[in-house]
Order: sequence, then C-alpha cells, then structure tokens
Amino acid sequence: MTALRSIDVSKVFEDGFTALADITLSIEPGEFVTLLGPSGCGKTTLLKIFAGFYEPTTGRIEQDGKDVTNAPPEKRDTAMCFQSYALFPHLSVAENIEFGPKQNKVNRDERLTRLNDLLRQVDLEQHRHKLPNKLSGGQQQRVALARALAMRPSVVLFDEPLSNLDAKLRESVRREIRGLQREFGFTAIYVTHDQSEALAMSDRVVVLNGGRIEQIGAPEEVYQRPDTAFVADFIGSANLLPFQRVDDHVVETALGRLTVSGPPDDAAGFLCWRPEHAQYGVTEGDNVVNAAVSELAYQGSYTDLHISPPGVPDQRLHWPGPASGVSDQVTFRLPPEHIRFVRGKLG
Amino acid sequence: MVEIAATETATATKPKNPARKVGLLNRALMVLLLTVVTIWLVVPFTMAVLWSLVDPKTGWEYPDLLPPSLTILRWVEVWTTTALPQAIANSYMLAPTVAVSTLILASPTAYCFARFDFPGKGFAQVLTLLPLVVPGFVLAIFFSSLIFSLGIYSRFLSILMAHCVLFLPYAIRIMTVSFGQVRQDLIDAARDLGARPIAVFRAAYMPALLPGILASLIIVFIQSIEEFAIAFIVGAPNFTTIPSILYSYLGYNFIRPNAAVVSLILVVPNVLLMLGLERLLKSANPAQAGGKG
Amino acid sequence: MNWRRTLLIIALLTPGLGVIVIMIGSVFYVAVMQSFGFYNLVGEESFSLEHWQKVLDSKQFSRALRYSAYIATVAAIGSVTLAYPIAIWLRRPFRGSLVISALLKAPLFVPGLVASFLFLNVIAFHGIVNQFMMWIGVTDAPIRLQNDRGAWGVVFLQLWKNMPFALLLLTGAVQSISDEVLDAARDLGAGSFARFRKIIAPLTVQAMQAALIIIFIGAAGDFAFQVTAGPTNVQSMAQYMVFLKDSFGRWNQAAVVGVSLMVLALCGSLVLAVLSRALLRSGNRW
Repeated sequence: MTALRSIDVSKVFEDGFTALADITLSIEPGEFVTLLGPSGCGKTTLLKIFAGFYEPTTGRIEQDGKDVTNAPPEKRDTAMCFQSYALFPHLSVAENIEFGPKQNKVNRDERLTRLNDLLRQVDLEQHRHKLPNKLSGGQQQRVALARALAMRPSVVLFDEPLSNLDAKLRESVRREIRGLQREFGFTAIYVTHDQSEALAMSDRVVVLNGGRIEQIGAPEEVYQRPDTAFVADFIGSANLLPFQRVDDHVVETALGRLTVSGPPDDAAGFLCWRPEHAQYGVTEGDNVVNAAVSELAYQGSYTDLHISPPGVPDQRLHWPGPASGVSDQVTFRLPPEHIRFVRGKLG
Repeated sequence: MVEIAATETATATKPKNPARKVGLLNRALMVLLLTVVTIWLVVPFTMAVLWSLVDPKTGWEYPDLLPPSLTILRWVEVWTTTALPQAIANSYMLAPTVAVSTLILASPTAYCFARFDFPGKGFAQVLTLLPLVVPGFVLAIFFSSLIFSLGIYSRFLSILMAHCVLFLPYAIRIMTVSFGQVRQDLIDAARDLGARPIAVFRAAYMPALLPGILASLIIVFIQSIEEFAIAFIVGAPNFTTIPSILYSYLGYNFIRPNAAVVSLILVVPNVLLMLGLERLLKSANPAQAGGKG
Repeated sequence: MNWRRTLLIIALLTPGLGVIVIMIGSVFYVAVMQSFGFYNLVGEESFSLEHWQKVLDSKQFSRALRYSAYIATVAAIGSVTLAYPIAIWLRRPFRGSLVISALLKAPLFVPGLVASFLFLNVIAFHGIVNQFMMWIGVTDAPIRLQNDRGAWGVVFLQLWKNMPFALLLLTGAVQSISDEVLDAARDLGAGSFARFRKIIAPLTVQAMQAALIIIFIGAAGDFAFQVTAGPTNVQSMAQYMVFLKDSFGRWNQAAVVGVSLMVLALCGSLVLAVLSRALLRSGNRW
C-alpha cells in the first residue's frame, strides 16, 4: 500500500495560472521523497495539496488508500515543517510542541512523555520555557521539527526547511532530519530548490518544472542518467550540446564528430555530458577535442574552464589542478559511455 | 455496466471544488455586506439630502415615500436667516490656524522621538496620548474654567489653544513616522557633497516629510472642523462653529430640514478632503520605494 | 548622555509634549480642586467635601454613572466583537475587499452629531424603518422609536461609530500574523474557533485592548448621542455634568461629576484590559 498518492492532480489558481498539470505520484511508507525544482515549478503547491491547504482543481489525493482530496489540513494525518518555521510567537517551546497533541485531545501523560522525549531528541531541554524569538535559527528549526513530530504523523511535509539557515548549520540539521526520519519511520516529502540537499537526503527525487514532472528516480539515477535537458542542466549543470545524427554510433556536433555508445532516438536533438567526465592527457583516438579556453575560474579542488564552440552554449570543464597549469588551448576526450541523449531543450 | 463505470470515473476525477465554494461564500458575504452598507450609509445620506431639499409648502409627511416636490429654498433660507455663514467663517478660520499651529508645535517633539534615543522615551510617547483619554466634555468644561481664571477672554484664542492640545497626539504620531523615514544615508550623502543645512533639508528631509506634513494638516483640519465639545462649551453663545449650529437644530427645537442642510455642509467637504488624503498617501508610497533596496 | 544633549531633548519636547502635559495637567488640577471647593468663579474658596457628598448622595448621579458605565461597556465589547470576524474575513485581500473595508470605515469620518441626525431620520415617524414595518404589517401606525427608554438608539449609534475604529486597529493586527503561522495551527489540528482563541486573539491582544479602552472612554464621556438620541429619563455623565454647570452654575458639583467620569474611564479601561488578558490566559491552559 502506498503512503500517499496523487492521481492526475492539477491546480489552476483563480488568476488562471496553472501551477500543476497531471501530477501522478506514489510514495511508499517510510520513503524520503524530495520535490526538486526552481521557484515557480509548483513544488510547494503540490506539498500544500498533500497537506490539505490547497484543493486540487482536478485529480485525487489518497492517503493509505483512502481518498483525502477534500479533507482539510486539520483532519489529515500529515504534519508540516514550514520554511519560516511558523512557530507560535506567544507560546514557549514546550507549549509550541504540545499544541498539536492538545488540539487532538491526547491525554496529559502521553503528551508529557512525547514532549520530554522530543525535547531530548532535538537537544532543547534547557530551552523548554523560552519563547521562540529567544532561540537561534537552528534551534527554532528543531522546535518546528519537534512540534510536527509530536503529532506522531505518518507523513511529514517539509517546505524548504533549511533555506533560512547558514551553510554550516544546514548540514547538521540535514543529518538530524534524516536521523529522526529513520528513528520515527515517518514518510517524508521534502521540498527544495537545492540539488545538493536533494541528492544527499532522498531515497527518490522528483524533478519538477513548469508544473510538470520531468523525471522521478533515485539520486544517482537523476544525476547520472537525466532524461531531459532540464534535469541535466538543473542537477549539477551538465553541458548541453545540439547534435545531428550521422549513423547509429556517430553524431555531428559543434565539438566535431563524436562517437556515442547507443543510437539516438531522433535525427537531431540534444546530448549532455558532465564537466567532471572529460579526460585529459589523451591526444589521439575518437572523441578528442581541442578548443580555445575562453574563461577560467579557480575553484579550489579544480579549475572551471569554459570553451566557446560557435553557435552553442559555453561548455564547461573541470580541470584538475590550479589555474596556472592551464594554457590557451585545452585538449580532452569525451568517453562515449558518458555521453547521454536527453529529451527537450533548454528555455 | 459501461455507463456506470463511466460515471464513476467521471465523479472520481472531478472532485468537489471547495476553492469555488470559498469563492461563492465570499461572493455571498459580499452581497450581504453591500446590502448592509447601503442601509448603513446610502439610505441615511440620501434621506439627509432629500430632507434638505423638501419644499416647505408641501412638506414630507407619511405616507409619501419621497418628498412630493424638491426645492433649494431651505438652503437659501438657512443661509440668509441663520448664523450659518458666520459659523462657517469661524470654523474655516479656526481649522487652518489650528492645523498649522499644531504642526509647528508637534514637529520638534516628533523629530526628537524619531531621531533620538533617551531614557523614558516610551513613557514620553505614551504621555502624548493623554488628550485622547480624557473625556471631551470634562476637558471642555474645566478648560473653560481654567481660561476664565486665567482671564483669557478671546474665544477664538481659547478654542485654538484647546484644539491644538487635543489634536497634538495625531500630529506628533504622523510626524514621528515621517521623520523616521528620513534616510540617514541621504543626509550623509548631501553633507558629503558639501550641501549647506538648507540644501540638506531640501534634499534629504523634504521628500520624506512632505506627505506627513500634508496628512497631519488635513487630519487636524478635519478634526477641528468636526470638534463639538470644546467649540460648544468654550465658544457658546458668542462664537459659533458649524457643529454648534447643527446641535442647535438637533436639541430642544428640532428643525429637520435645517439640520439636514448643516449636516451636509459639515460632512461633504470633509469627505472630499479624506479622499484627497487617501490619494496623497497612495502617491506618497513611490517616494519611499527607493528605501531599503 | 551629556547635559547639552539633555537640554536639546527637553527643548525639543517642550512645545509638543510639554504643552500637552501642562494643559491636561492644569485641566485635571482645576477639575479636582473645584470638586473640593477651590477655584470658584464666585464666592469663597475653602476646602470642603460638601460637593462630593451632595453629588454622591443624589439619585441622578448614581443613575448617570451606571448608565454611562453600561453604554461604555456595551459599546466597547460590542464594537470589538463585531469587528473581529470582519477583520479576519478581510485579512487576505480578495476582489472587492478594499472597497468593503473603505465602506465599513466610512463612519469614522462622520461627525457624531451628523451620525445622530442621520439615525434620527431613519427611525423617524415617516422614516424608512417605520415605513418598512408598516409595509410588512408589523404595525399599523408609525411607532415612536426616537429616544427609546432602553437606549437602543444610543447603543446602535455607538456601534455604528466605533466598530469601524475597532476594525481599523484589529485589521492591522490580524494582517500582521503570517499565513504560515495560521497554516501551522491548522496543520496541527486547530479548527477555526481554536485558531481564533489560541493564535489570533493572543497575538492581537494589544490592538484589542487599545480598541476596548479608547472606545470605552469615548462612550463613557458621550454627550452628543445621548442628548439627541438617548432616553430622556436618564442622563449620561457628560450630560449631567453640563446640566449642573449650566443650571445655576454649580461648577463644584460639575467638577465632582467630571472627576468621577475620569475615574470611571480609568477603572473601566483597566478592568477591560485585565479581563481580556485573563480570558486569554484561561483559554491557553486547560
């Protein structure tokens, strides 16, 4: 049985804007699923439909096999962690955490047990009587987590929960969320626009663009085998290159003739390759490219090189080593197994 | 069988749409509210206008839903036979004087609240609200008692003083906000570019202050025109203002058409001013838009 | 802080705050002194409790006090009660919401006497209310609604004039609560009433108290509505005070009423402020 399912869900807002179109998605119990996409792709709208804040214009939402499409948020077995944390500013940490159980008439003993356990788990015991505005951002985030978990929800919905934290803190809260998820075993749906967050945390990533699902898959899958130009570009900014088919294993591109491992679906389209897959020090054989360096930027562990073949977007390379070792020309090989054809195009 | 299956899928994929339900609810509430507001505002004001136009010869008696004939005779009569022209002159002399004096008195305090920090500032700001929490007639009666014992006999001056104090809280509040919107970086930039104090004032202060100055002038002006307690207690019977005249037609000898005329004279200019103020506040926004960036 | 700065601040505060404190202070001083027999316009000046005794013993005074307290309480609580749901309804803008809030706030800009007059027209013998009642057959002849003994007219006028004020304060406060906080409460299982009691009311309690206090004080000191539309068998405090001053210049007794009115305003505001907070407290623990 699926924990949560959306069937042909679309959402058209009153002003006529189509935020979501035909979203069908099944989420297994205990799974950690990330909704990834740029702002305006509909990921938060979908999350709010799962939570019950929005009703879909068409389609259905099922939880544990039951239709909950029209159930309001207060009647759903989901709990949400908000981007702004949305802590109740007039209530103490403990009162915030107890709010949900109180609303749901959980008895006093059980409430206190949950409260004390959660305070210990998120390491906020000494702050229980403080008001939220006396806490740091990371602490507020943990209160918000504890408040959601106090409901013992089977599904927890995260709306960009780390976007207001600084980079260092992000990583530790990330681990904390994952740890709590393993411990409590809840199903997690996690909205983010940060691809590294999505790759690091999820069991499955759902890439959304313009209200539609671009690709669903495990983190390695969407990174290594992007289906569309959008996914290739959005996750780890792969290089995109238009091609013309010559035969089943050869295509013509702005970088010259390239050997590929499989036949392209179409006579022309886009292929993608990742900057880190270029091989250096090879000067003979197939797929060797020699190009002028148009731009370079030292990044620490590598140097980011740009080459500008005529008529196509800049192609990026990760040169292993400092910028001083780069000459005006760069020679590299594109291994055929790392060249992948993608559907669609950019923009 | 096929038909049943088809309808089932149809209902399944087409859920009830509460978004539309909410829209419908809002629309119903709005219709209800507009009805209430009509009864609330439109009917009373229409009746006031009609009453001011009733022909004294035919009158307006039950069961006529509308007056049988309309005339501006009442307006002429009220204008020529009563003290209304004098009251209008008094009110419209008093109000601008009050507005300007209040602004002048309020500005230093507002400047201080907006640009200085000092111990007891919060308490001082609460103290400025005092005139709002003393019941109007208590203030009026014992203010009149005070000026008698001080030997001030000019009614105009007395009412002017009282009105200034009464409306200072509004002016101080508005001007404090305005002074708070003056940007220190603009002041610094102007001084850095070698501007003299007057030029600094024109470049950095004026744009932020102007909407506040106008708002303060308009609000105090309206309040002064409308104020009844002090104008009545301190001014009567020698110095009449528009509200005092209105009161005389509503009190012991109730003369409905005259009261209608005076009511409209009292309300209409203020409504126009308020609309102007609204415009002003809206157009003031772009001036601050460059704010934080 | 050095002395030059101190002097500057005092100099800046003098024309505004200074004038307010001196004027209101002197008026208050005159009222209190007059109630104890000083500052007489004519005759001897000496300390006496006679005026207090006379006024407090009079039946008219106790009726006026109770009446004004009643009107003020009803006006304050009634206006806030009516304004809260509207403020919540208008929290999120929707098509037409600006027009509605402008229309609802319009009475703020109608002077009290004009409001009275408009109201008197509507409830007059041939006013629209009587016409309507006869049309639907509730009554055969017009009923006298003016100056009703139950003071319904005054209460109506108070609500008409003060609800917009409460709405003005509450709309601002309610709009400053973020959507996510209210969404979070819903998500945690709070229905609309629980959201109001647990989240909206506590977060807007200051605006609510301000509205309660200012409306209470205004209504307690009401003169215009009472004189034009109020019951004739009882006087409001302000009306009684003016009456004492005007008939035989009983300034000292008027002062007693004036001071009592200020005490009523102060006590009433305190009670309302404390009560509203206490009610919320009890709402949060159970």
